[in-house]
Amino acid sequence: MTPTEPVTVTRVKEAVAVRCNGALLSATLPHADTLHFTIEKRAMRTVVEGLVGELQARFLISVGTDKRPVTGDFAITHLFSLDREHLYVLLESPVPENDPKIESITEVVAGANWAEREFRDAIGVSPEGHPDPRRLLLADDWPEGVYPLRRDFPYNYRPPRAENGRPQMREPPSGASVVPMGPFFPVLEEPAYWRLFVEGENVVGCDTRLFYNHRGIEKLGDSVLTYNEVPFLAERICGICGFIHSTCYCQAVEKAAGMEAPRRARYIRTIMLELERIHSHLLWLGIAGHIIGFDTVLMQTWRIREPVMWLCEQISGNRKTYGMNTIGGLRRDLPNQIKPKLLEILAEVEKQATAVRDAVVGDTTLHARTKGVGELTNEWARKICVVGPPARASGVAIDARIDHAYAAYDEIPPQIATQEAGDTWARVLVRVAELLDSIRIVREAIAATPEGPICAEIPGEIPRDTIGVSVVEAPRGEAIHFVQTGGDNRPYRWRVRAPTYPNLQAMPVMVANAKIADVPITLGSLDPCFSCTERLETLDKQTGEIKVYSHAEILEMSRVTNGGGGAR
Amino acid sequence: MTVWLLKSSLLCLLNAAIALFLSPLCEGIMRKLRAAIHSRIGPPITQPYWDLLKLLGKEDLRSVGGIAYASLPGITLGSALLLATLIPLGTTAPLAFAGDMIVVIYVATMSSVLIMLGGFASASPYAFIGSSREMMMLLSVEPILAIALAVGAFKARTLAIAGIVNWQVRNGPSISMAIAGVAFFLALQAVAGKLPFDIAEADQEIMGGPFIEQSGPRLALARWAVWVKQFVLVFLLVAVFFPWPHLGIFLADLLLTIVKALIVFVLVSVIDVVNPRLRIDQAMGYYMRVAFSSLAALAFAVIGK
Repeated sequence: MTPTEPVTVTRVKEAVAVRCNGALLSATLPHADTLHFTIEKRAMRTVVEGLVGELQARFLISVGTDKRPVTGDFAITHLFSLDREHLYVLLESPVPENDPKIESITEVVAGANWAEREFRDAIGVSPEGHPDPRRLLLADDWPEGVYPLRRDFPYNYRPPRAENGRPQMREPPSGASVVPMGPFFPVLEEPAYWRLFVEGENVVGCDTRLFYNHRGIEKLGDSVLTYNEVPFLAERICGICGFIHSTCYCQAVEKAAGMEAPRRARYIRTIMLELERIHSHLLWLGIAGHIIGFDTVLMQTWRIREPVMWLCEQISGNRKTYGMNTIGGLRRDLPNQIKPKLLEILAEVEKQATAVRDAVVGDTTLHARTKGVGELTNEWARKICVVGPPARASGVAIDARIDHAYAAYDEIPPQIATQEAGDTWARVLVRVAELLDSIRIVREAIAATPEGPICAEIPGEIPRDTIGVSVVEAPRGEAIHFVQTGGDNRPYRWRVRAPTYPNLQAMPVMVANAKIADVPITLGSLDPCFSCTERLETLDKQTGEIKVYSHAEILEMSRVTNGGGGAR
Repeated sequence: MTVWLLKSSLLCLLNAAIALFLSPLCEGIMRKLRAAIHSRIGPPITQPYWDLLKLLGKEDLRSVGGIAYASLPGITLGSALLLATLIPLGTTAPLAFAGDMIVVIYVATMSSVLIMLGGFASASPYAFIGSSREMMMLLSVEPILAIALAVGAFKARTLAIAGIVNWQVRNGPSISMAIAGVAFFLALQAVAGKLPFDIAEADQEIMGGPFIEQSGPRLALARWAVWVKQFVLVFLLVAVFFPWPHLGIFLADLLLTIVKALIVFVLVSVIDVVNPRLRIDQAMGYYMRVAFSSLAALAFAVIGK
C-alpha cells in the first residue's frame, strides 16, 4: 500500500470546502487512500473545476446509483485521482427523484462525456448542458424511460418489441461523403460502428456508435450474484485481461471490508497480472502488424505468445479465465515446482521478443506507416483523461501500479516507459518496453514470493454501505472497479470502467485530418477492447442494408432463427 | 493462309491455356512460401485450384444490377488471357507482329482499368475508394512498364517484342536494360497486387476494394484474372530483360525460363511477406522515384550503354 500523506488529505478537504461555499454535506475517509465528499448538486461543477484546476486531479469515471430505497434520492458520484498524492477523491451528490438533473461537467472535463451519458441511460439522471446528449449504451430500440440500473428494474426484464431502431448519427459536413467502418469490419474483432466523413482519402471527421455488446454484467453483480460469485463474472468481462478485472473487483471489496490479501497472494496476483500483460502485448503487436498488412509480425508474435498461454494453463488449468481470485486472496496456489519451467519460458520469450523488437525498430516501411500517424497531443491526452500506453506515449506519466500501488508493486515497482511523440510509433515503443519490463517483474516476483497462506478470512460480515475503489493497470491502461457494499451479501452498486472507455473517446481527435488508410491502425494502436467497455444489458438489432429484403423482413427472419424472442 | 491461321489460333489457345491453368499453381507456390516465412505449414500448393473450384460452384449472388458489374470479372479475365497470347511463354509469342509492344502495354493497362470499372459499377463506398486507389496506382505504375519496354525498343530499334528479345540475346547484358529490368520488376510488385502495394484491395482498410461486392463465380474470375496477369508479366520480364543464357535448345531454354520465372515469383513473394502495406500517397511517391530512375535507363540507352 502506498501511503497517502495526512497533509494531502487535509489540503484537499480544505480546498473542496472552500469551493463548496457551504454546500458540503459531509467529508469522510472510507479508506486510507479514498476521500469521499458528499456535496449539494449545485456546487458540483464549481468543485470539479477546483479539483481539476488547482489540485490537478484526473477524472476517472462517474457512478450513478439508485439510492432511493436507502436515502430517497439518486446519487451521482464523480471519481477523481490525485496520482502523485496516491489519493482517490469521490464527489457524491444526491439528486432528488422529482428533479433528476445534475449540471454536466463535460465542459470542464472533456473525459466525462461518456460517463455522464452512461448514468443518464442507466439510472435516468440527466446531465444538464451536456454537449452531446445522444444515447450511449442503451440500444436504439430500447424503450424511453426504462432505466436498467434502477433498483426496481428486474434483471430479467424483457422489453417490448420495437421496430426500426436506428442509431442517431450525425450528418457529414457538406462536400464530405460517408465511409462506414463497422458494425462488422475486418480489423474490429468486436462490433463497433465508425462513420468516417471523408473527402477523397482524407478523413474530415467521424462519428461513432458503440455498445453493441452489453451483457448486463453490472446489473447481475448487484441483483443476482453474491460477493464471492462476482469474481468469476468479473473475469469474464474481458477475454484477454480477465484476471485484471477479477483482481480489481476483489481488491475493491477487500478495501470496503477493511481487509488485505496475504503477502503471498499479492505476489502471485502480481505474477499473473504481468503474465497477462506479456501475452496481451504480444497479441497486440501481432494485431497491429496485421492491420497494416504485416502478417509476418502477427504470425511470429503469436507463436512467441503461445508458450505463455500454456504456462497459464499449467498454473490455473485454463489458458485464459483462470478463476483464481477470491475476496481475501486466491483460490489456487502457484505450485513451487512450476517455477523452473516458468523461468525457462520467460527466458525464451524474452529472447524472441527482443529479436522481434530489434526487427521492428529497424523497419523503415513500418516507420512510414506509424510515425506521425494518429497523433494524440499531451494536451488532448490530459483533457480526455486517456490512460495506459496511449497516455504514456503522449508524455502523461501515469501508471496505476505506481500511482495507486496494489498487489506487490510497492515492493517491485515497474519502470514506466514514456514517449513524447504521441503517435502510433510511440505507442509501439511504449508497449515493447513494457513487455520486456513485465518479464523482469515476473522474474523478481518469483524470486521474492514469500511462503504463507494464500487467502485471508473475511472478518465477519462485510459492513453495509462502505465504499471500495480499486485500480489495476491492465495492458490497455488503468481498469477501475468501484464497489459500494450492500446488506444482502452482494454489492449495492458495482461499477466497472475498463481502460478502453476513456481511450476510445480520443479517437475523433486522433483521426482528424488523417487518411482513410491510417484509421484502422490508429484505432488499433489504442488496443481497443469493446467487450470490456460495454457491460450493460441491451439489445442489438442493427442489420445491414440489403436490397432484396426490407429491414423489417430481416428483423423478422432473425427473430425466427433466434426462436422468436424479443430479448435474449 | 488457312493453315497459318489455324496454327496461330491453336498456339494462341495453347498460350492462353498455359496461363490459365498454371497461374494458380504459381499462386500456390507463393502462398506456401509465405507460410514458411510465417512459421506456418500453409495450404497445399494446389489450394488455389480448389479455391477457384469452390467459388465457381457457388450461387451467383448479385448485390447490384447492371451489366458492367456482372460481366466485368469475365471480361477482365479475357483481357488477361489476350495478354497471354501476346507474350512469349518460354518460346515465341503466338501473336507476334511489328508494333506488338504497344498492344502489350495497352492490354496490360486494360485489365487494371476493367478491375477499376468493376469497382465503380458495384456501388459500394469501399469499392469506390479501392477503384480510385487502383487508378492512382495505374497512373504511377504503367508509365514505368512503358518506359522499361521503350528502353528495349530504343536499343533494338523495333517495336516488336520478339525483336527486342532477339537483340538482347545477340548483344548480351547492358546497363540500360539492367536498370529497365529492375524498374519493371519493382513495378511488377504493384501490378500483381502484392504487398507493400496491395493498396487498392487493402483488406484491413477497405475490405478488398473493387472486389468487395464480387462473390462466387465472379470473384473466381476476378481473382483468376489477377493471377494470370501476374503470371504473364513475370514471363514478359524474364523474356525481355533476362533472356540469357540462350542455348538454342528448345527444351533447355524452356526449362531455364521456368526456373528464372520461379525465381522472380519467389522474390515477389519474399518482398510481399516482409513488408507492411504502404499508404497510397507513399506508394505513389515511391513509384515516382522509380519512374525517374527508369528514365536514367533511357538516358543510358541514348548514349549506347
